[in-house]
Amino acid sequence: MSISVIFLRPFARFLVPFTLHRKSRNLYSTILQRNMSSKIPSLSYSTKESTSPPEQLELDGWKTTMKSSVQEDVSTVSSNKDEDPLAATRELIEMWRLLGREVPEHITEDELKTIMECASKSSKKKYLKYLYIKEKMKKARQIKKEAKAAAREEFIKSKLLETTEEDKQQNFLFLRLWDRNMDIAMGWKGAQAMQFGQPLVFDMAYEDYMNRKELQNTISQLLESEGWNRRNVDPFHIYFCNLKTDGAYHRELIKRYGEKWDKLLLTATEKSHVDLFPKDSIIYLTADSPNVMTTFKHDKIYVVGSFVDKHMQPGTSLAKAKRLKLATECLPLDKYLQWDIGSKNLTLDQMIRLLLCLKNTGSWEDALKFVPRRKHTGYLEVSQYSQEFIDRMKKAKTFNSLSKGSLHGTQKRWLK
Amino acid sequence: MTFYLSGIGSFPKLWKSNQVWQGPGHSYLCLFLTDFCGIRNQQRWFSLKAMSPQNTKATDLLIAKARYLKKDDSSNKQVSSDSSHFFLAGAAKKRSQMNPQSKDHALPPVKNTIELPTKPLNSKEWDKLKEDFKGKVNFESWISSQMAHCHSSVDVAKSLLAWVAAKNNGIVGYDLLVKYLHLSVFHKQTSEVIDVYEIMKARYKNLEPGAYTLLIRGLIHSDRWREALLLLEDIKKVMTPSRKNYNDCIQGALLHQDVNIAWNLYQELLAHDLIPMLETLKAFFDFGKDIKEDDYSNKLLDILLYLRNNHLYPGESFAHSIKTWFESGQCSACGKNIESINLSPEEYDFLKGKIMRDVIDGGDQYKKTTPWELKRFKNFVKSCPPFDIVIDGLNVAKMFPKARESQVLLQLVSQLAKQNLRLLVLGRKHMLKKSPRWRKDEMEMVREQASCFFADNISEDDPFLLYATLHSGNHCKFVTKDLMRDHKACLSDAKTQHLFFKWQQGHQLAIKNKFPGSGITFQHILSYDTVVQTTGDSWHIPYDEDLVERYSYEVPTKWLCLHRKT
Repeated sequence: MSISVIFLRPFARFLVPFTLHRKSRNLYSTILQRNMSSKIPSLSYSTKESTSPPEQLELDGWKTTMKSSVQEDVSTVSSNKDEDPLAATRELIEMWRLLGREVPEHITEDELKTIMECASKSSKKKYLKYLYIKEKMKKARQIKKEAKAAAREEFIKSKLLETTEEDKQQNFLFLRLWDRNMDIAMGWKGAQAMQFGQPLVFDMAYEDYMNRKELQNTISQLLESEGWNRRNVDPFHIYFCNLKTDGAYHRELIKRYGEKWDKLLLTATEKSHVDLFPKDSIIYLTADSPNVMTTFKHDKIYVVGSFVDKHMQPGTSLAKAKRLKLATECLPLDKYLQWDIGSKNLTLDQMIRLLLCLKNTGSWEDALKFVPRRKHTGYLEVSQYSQEFIDRMKKAKTFNSLSKGSLHGTQKRWLK
Repeated sequence: MTFYLSGIGSFPKLWKSNQVWQGPGHSYLCLFLTDFCGIRNQQRWFSLKAMSPQNTKATDLLIAKARYLKKDDSSNKQVSSDSSHFFLAGAAKKRSQMNPQSKDHALPPVKNTIELPTKPLNSKEWDKLKEDFKGKVNFESWISSQMAHCHSSVDVAKSLLAWVAAKNNGIVGYDLLVKYLHLSVFHKQTSEVIDVYEIMKARYKNLEPGAYTLLIRGLIHSDRWREALLLLEDIKKVMTPSRKNYNDCIQGALLHQDVNIAWNLYQELLAHDLIPMLETLKAFFDFGKDIKEDDYSNKLLDILLYLRNNHLYPGESFAHSIKTWFESGQCSACGKNIESINLSPEEYDFLKGKIMRDVIDGGDQYKKTTPWELKRFKNFVKSCPPFDIVIDGLNVAKMFPKARESQVLLQLVSQLAKQNLRLLVLGRKHMLKKSPRWRKDEMEMVREQASCFFADNISEDDPFLLYATLHSGNHCKFVTKDLMRDHKACLSDAKTQHLFFKWQQGHQLAIKNKFPGSGITFQHILSYDTVVQTTGDSWHIPYDEDLVERYSYEVPTKWLCLHRKT
């Protein structure tokens, strides 16, 4: 079909343009009416004659049904049509869902508002995808839960049948109170650690460097770290330093721990670690440090920054340590592991498990098993490492004497 | 009818010359539009005579004339092998091709379980096809996306929809409709687009941007193009329309001769902080051929200024359009001199402040250095008279992996010192420690011939380099091969980044030797600024060639030069 180009003057929209088919002409006028006064529901649809254009193979039949089958639907929709942007966004999400995009099925008012506040299209899409995945996981969990409940019921039924057959007495030494006993025992150990344990500091001074999501991830990791510490044979005495009361960290921690927060066996303080401990015994752990940690020292206070950095702000924690003139160290990941992908920053729970393991055994090979397996291809022979290190030294631009010093140290250590 | 471009002035000391285009001996790229209404043979206008500046004789001349370059036998070879300047379009591509490690990642072919039908099928055939299909996903949506991807004919898609509708009480899902719409837009089937438009209007109150975009694109060619504008309004309710949407609407308006709407849409587009597609701008120029109004011409000149201010470069066909428009007699302005790469004093001070604040300080002085080191550095710079050249010691020394670091550094320093230039070598403290790579005696000789500043081992040295160069003044250059992209990224806004890039092009000396030994030679410095520019009655417009890939830190090499007939 050839497209006819027509010169339209500004007032031309009110004219019915010349078209070839009577059908589309009719339609056009109705659409124009609809557009100019959107409040009026279109009534002219029913009067439309259904003469379809000449067709081969019955190709266009569906169009008429598509158009005619939903007239009522349209009129009801357009009658309560409101110009609320929230509603429009909701509609948009619904259309995206029809298109098979990754958007949630149900959405709350708050979430809608968050979407409206997103600055860019891509951030909107990202947030919607996040909601979509969340919804999907929730559904999957629900289904699993139901399946489990059904299985349990089945099990109890069959058990009932069995117990009716044999109801013999059994002798037990203990009542089944494992969980509570465990909790109490861990509490005792925790109290002991509060008195005599080695301090481990989580530096909470990174509130301003993180967005909401990163902060939530940090809190999750802190929770998990605390859990791992509690279960250990010889826990650390954990300090949350620089924790501002009613700051974002504090609020989030209270939200997650609930009533338990005040009963936690750790020290949460607004003070900085430099106020609590002598400066020369503090070692700030950061992946950017030029100094490599060789051994775990039991008389030092290790500081870990509670900071999830998804925005690539390298050197933030190193800058903090520099400012306070603290010693810094990084884990000897390259020395023991054949690093493959991923950043050298580990999560907080990985850090604490690693440190706990080091504290108890002193073996790097054992401790480094907490480094995610996907990040490295295997353990290195140390001789191989030193060769590689020398090679790298030759190439690297920022080779400095500090790392060189540590190299000599390690060689000696491993040669003896 | 000549269109030639020779160029870059030949001056004895490359960086000492501030008046780039004033010399009488300079002929530069000129396209004299002697026959204004003459033959419009575009092919000829844009024939291969457009030369890129770096591989003309001028370059050879430059290299020969630059005094500090040691002449050696290999200089000719160097030129030919190094015809790609650091900052010129296509250079990065060439560099990567020289690198044998680069592999092309060929995507595995899409797994195709069934052949796409080439002609409309009836429902039985569709049923059979569905049975043959083995896959987890929904057959209808899979086949329709495959058809959309392979641009099947509209009739095939229509038969699919007819089959789906027959199975489903005459209802076709939204996603199938959108894919059908995509096909009919792609094949420019306007009647089909309008039909789908009616259906969508009837069935759904609001659509989503994907469908709106397709509808707009389809409708602008029809006589119902004004409804595309209504659709644009609908998009605006939920999000900012994309620049493609605006492009389509503007094209539609221009196609139907409604200039006012087109300009209004263009203003709206700019107001949303969107960068218009070059197609949009090209459309204005193409349309301008037939319009003889001062107002319109001024607006087109505004577009050229927009290109200038945002450092955008037209593509080859857009350059054609610009040229054609100028030829059509609408051009009211034209001039003479190409702008120098040097920044104006205000720009220079602004950039200096920004570098200090954003790159070195960056909100936390401890990140890249320490306050006491910064102080030491500032005092040091203040105590010295302005330098002529600032050298990134580590970058230079690491250039040849096989040579000893300190030796390479010494070679460069003594070569430059012979020309009585005041040098500053920046490095890190570990360079002073005795090691096989850094010999004490050689470092001592470096310190004799140049001022040196050694930063802490964990500090960054590049910000110091930038500051020392900027502090010394406009004549000062710096030597490094680093492209400084990370530092450019630290700058807060695009405008400052452009300034930085301009300054970098004019002040960075990149070493181009591949082997040590013979004298070290530098890449010539671009003495002109590659940007759309006018000087009264002439326009100079750099443009991208279609077949050359340009990276963000490169500038085009081809120019369109337009002079007003006098």
